[in-house]
Amino acid sequence: MDSTVVFQTVILGVLLGGQYALLASGLTLYFGVMRVVMLAHASFLVLAAYLAWWFTTSTGLDPMLSMAITVPLFFGLGVVMQRILLSRLRPATLTMMSCLLTLAIALVVEGVLGFLFTGVQRRVQVGYGSAQLNFFGASIPVVKLVSFGLAVFGLAALYFILMKSSFGRSLRATIQHKQAAQLVGINTDRVAGHGFGLGLATAAVGGTALALDATIFPSLHWYWIGPLMAIIVVGGLGSVPGAAIAAMILGIATSVLQIPMGATWAQTVFYLALFATLLFRPQGFFGGRLAQRF
Amino acid sequence: MWIRKGLTVAAAAALAFGAVSCGSSPGGRDDGKVLIGISIPLTGDFAEPGKSVEEGYRLWAETINGKGGLLGKQVELKILDDKSQAEAVVSDYEALIAQDQVDLIFGPYSSRLVIPAARVAEEYGMLFVEPAGNAAEVFEQGFQNLFYGGPSVADTSFDHLVDHVLAMPEEQRPKTAAIVAMDDPFPKATAHGVRDQLRDGGVEIVVDELYPPNQTDFSGLAAKVAASNADIVIGGAAYQDAVNLIIGLQQLNYDPEIAGFTTAPTHPEFAKALGAGTAGILAPTSYSPDARHETNAEFVAAYEEKFGGRPNEDHAAAFATGQVVAAAVEAVGCAEQGECQQQLVDWLRNAEVPTVVGPLSWDDAGRPKSASMVLQWQDGVSRIVLPADAAEAEFIYPKPGW
Amino acid sequence: MPSASETDVMHRLARYAHVLRMGGVSALIVIGLSVPSALGNPYLLSAAVVILNYALCATGWNFMGGFTGYISFGHAAYFGLGAYGTALLINRLDLAPFLAVALAVLIVSVIAVPVGFAALRLRGASFVIGTIAFVLIILLVFQSWNSFTGGSSGMEVPRPFPELTRPEHHLRFYYLYLGLLAFALLLWWLIDRSQFGLRLKGIREDEDKARALGVPTMEYKVVAFVLSAAFTAAAGGLYALWFGDLDPVFQFSILLGAYMVLMALVGGIRSLFGPLLGAVIVGYALEYFKLNYGDTQIHLAATGLLLVLVVLFMPDGIIPGARELANRHLRSGQTSIREQTQEELLAAQRSSGPEPPSQPAFSATVNGGRP
Repeated sequence: MDSTVVFQTVILGVLLGGQYALLASGLTLYFGVMRVVMLAHASFLVLAAYLAWWFTTSTGLDPMLSMAITVPLFFGLGVVMQRILLSRLRPATLTMMSCLLTLAIALVVEGVLGFLFTGVQRRVQVGYGSAQLNFFGASIPVVKLVSFGLAVFGLAALYFILMKSSFGRSLRATIQHKQAAQLVGINTDRVAGHGFGLGLATAAVGGTALALDATIFPSLHWYWIGPLMAIIVVGGLGSVPGAAIAAMILGIATSVLQIPMGATWAQTVFYLALFATLLFRPQGFFGGRLAQRF
Repeated sequence: MWIRKGLTVAAAAALAFGAVSCGSSPGGRDDGKVLIGISIPLTGDFAEPGKSVEEGYRLWAETINGKGGLLGKQVELKILDDKSQAEAVVSDYEALIAQDQVDLIFGPYSSRLVIPAARVAEEYGMLFVEPAGNAAEVFEQGFQNLFYGGPSVADTSFDHLVDHVLAMPEEQRPKTAAIVAMDDPFPKATAHGVRDQLRDGGVEIVVDELYPPNQTDFSGLAAKVAASNADIVIGGAAYQDAVNLIIGLQQLNYDPEIAGFTTAPTHPEFAKALGAGTAGILAPTSYSPDARHETNAEFVAAYEEKFGGRPNEDHAAAFATGQVVAAAVEAVGCAEQGECQQQLVDWLRNAEVPTVVGPLSWDDAGRPKSASMVLQWQDGVSRIVLPADAAEAEFIYPKPGW
Repeated sequence: MPSASETDVMHRLARYAHVLRMGGVSALIVIGLSVPSALGNPYLLSAAVVILNYALCATGWNFMGGFTGYISFGHAAYFGLGAYGTALLINRLDLAPFLAVALAVLIVSVIAVPVGFAALRLRGASFVIGTIAFVLIILLVFQSWNSFTGGSSGMEVPRPFPELTRPEHHLRFYYLYLGLLAFALLLWWLIDRSQFGLRLKGIREDEDKARALGVPTMEYKVVAFVLSAAFTAAAGGLYALWFGDLDPVFQFSILLGAYMVLMALVGGIRSLFGPLLGAVIVGYALEYFKLNYGDTQIHLAATGLLLVLVVLFMPDGIIPGARELANRHLRSGQTSIREQTQEELLAAQRSSGPEPPSQPAFSATVNGGRP
């Protein structure tokens, strides 16, 4: 394998890793806040992607502008979902029930998307769709750079909210220790709702990024459930920086391994990493002292 | 406690099956029409071509009803969506045959779905003419009732291209080839057919990859092909995967001398998806709207009136399927389940039916006996370029830049 | 204080309990055997076979979920392995069909041992995630390993009884599935009343305490795990023979795994016939949605909504719910435990048969400490 190819795949891997990091960032919040195994996150990514596509085909504007609508919409949806559906689950059977419930939500989303947009595969067409930049001999598609840029922006925004705002502090407190947070006067129920909303809002950004360079169809979310889950387990639950680092590593690994092994075998890397983490370091590798274990 | 459990289960089971069995009636229908059962992928991996097949079937039904129907009775199509899934296609045909008591069935789309569907048809003794399954495996299963509604089989679809390439003088001839194919019987068979012949002809195969049908990220595969700098790239594809791969190759600035893909380039949406990027792309095709076969001009006109634009290969194959079955029915004089189906099969075995894709006839396994043509996209329009006697335009080599 | 007439009813029930129990089971058997003739056409019979397949899978799953409380969402992995194992043994080694199924079940059981030892070190949500990851990685392997498994094109399995017509084929497999299901139910029932079962339930209620009491928890869990994998694999093997066409995406699907959980849940996880009842209800609902709304993808949304309703409003399942209702009706006079004497309470409990050691509400506090 010659070095230009390796260099190129590493770059592509970094861009992919950034995208994965954005897609996974919200996922880590759901578990931290509510101990919910959220299998519907991927389907909301696809929903956001469809909304971006629909926005572009109806208005002719750049899909990224759709975020002005989708981000607040998804935030609201997340809060509603948490308050109305998830808070009803009983703690004793939370894991099983949250799996079933969130899977059910994913199915509903898939069904509605299929009904509204049919199963035909869609692809957003932007002017810069086939353009590429030359970077020391590597050809970097412009859409992937834009997608990466969006990921950086989204993650930075998330980090800022979590670290600097009072809501973010309450959220982190709730994630670290719910009872203690309640003792210092935080309304954990409301925070949980907003935390969920925040997670789903990142899905809006992530889905838009996905729409730029991917083909979308209603059952696409099945493809993402596994890798996203693996990223947050490896990264450490409740830890956004952890998820970002894990995403980057796994993104580069899969990208590089695609060349010798083919895309499908390369994907197994996610699951092998997940198994290794669960067996040897269940609280994740990059989460810091306070990362949760499942 | 077991009492209650046992009784609850018994009650539920009884209720469930009672409700279910109430709705069915054994025996035939007698509603004075010919009901044709079809299952096609309207959603899922094969949704795009599936839609074309549906349009073709509906156009056929309209056409024939306009001429008085089959055996004087109006034709009605019952179409189910199999979501591109083998399980669904089996239960769809089972329901159509055993529960809805359809008189005739038409086949689904793609060799992958044709094989399980053909098995159901075979086991119920039904004639099975299908528009889109011609990979070698389809004909090797031992089906007695299967007929393919197109002119050629998968492995030889691109034969004219291969012959043309190998016939080129030494200095001009491409030296290396990259072969990628979807892991699905038809695209795989076509791509591998080309690969084997090119290899035998002295061309070096530098990339030989398969990808699963639901793959959407082609950056790795595109990188591999681009890095190999192969003179020829051949893609065994369905639709969106071809578009994605081509975009991926364009993004990496890879420009082969020959680019051939199955299926996707025969669709008009291909031009919309790629714009100028279609220049020079080749595809095997069993159909041309300008071909002077009997019934073709009428078909093209009817299509234009109903849907606008021109019909593609899948529309034609579906229409041809209808024509084949209609010919058998009119010749034998019956259209219902049972004995009649075997009579239809026997008649077709020795017949030659004129259709929009040309005159069709078959061997013992249902294989058609003609060959495919090759089209090339030139200036935003697809034209037949091979074989020479059917060509509408010159074969452009090397391919103009994307 | 329960009235005289109510005590009377209870005593009479106690006397006839045995007879009624036998009666209920016999009724079930009779219904099971006569279903094929009640159904109007072969398509419905094929749907019935699908439902029995689900029932066998759900009952198999319940060896694990019901007894140990470990919820596996990736159980389809064993279904698929059993199906593909059978297919490969027949296609590559030319084995007789049912020998292939038996051998495939054995192979899967052997594989399940180390997998069990690794997986059962995890608790709660980690276990669930691990099982999901397991089925997904197996899916990838089967999709990519083209030369061995046929890849995404799938694998054909020749008919075991080529001389049968299709309706007869469905009928024969209906009975095969019924027989295997009966065997699974019998085994489940035996375990339920055994010491082994009691200890498994102890693990379910509080694993650390069980271990402290000397129960070899790991070994017991693995046994339950292997049994559950074996039955699911057997269902897979029969399915391969019956359906004849395998596709990795459908054999190794999270959705199938979720259906198994859902069916056991709907019927009642801790009861013998729960999974069967759940399979009948959910299987029927799925077929109904597919047939009536199948031309768009709205049937998926309908399935999803059904799932949501079950999760939110019927979290314990139907059988326990029905039992609850029946209990409340029969003992409507009772208001406080102090109004019954010790002997009366004991007599009442004995007459309603062996109960699992504790009720769900109780386990909430016991399990509260688990991660």
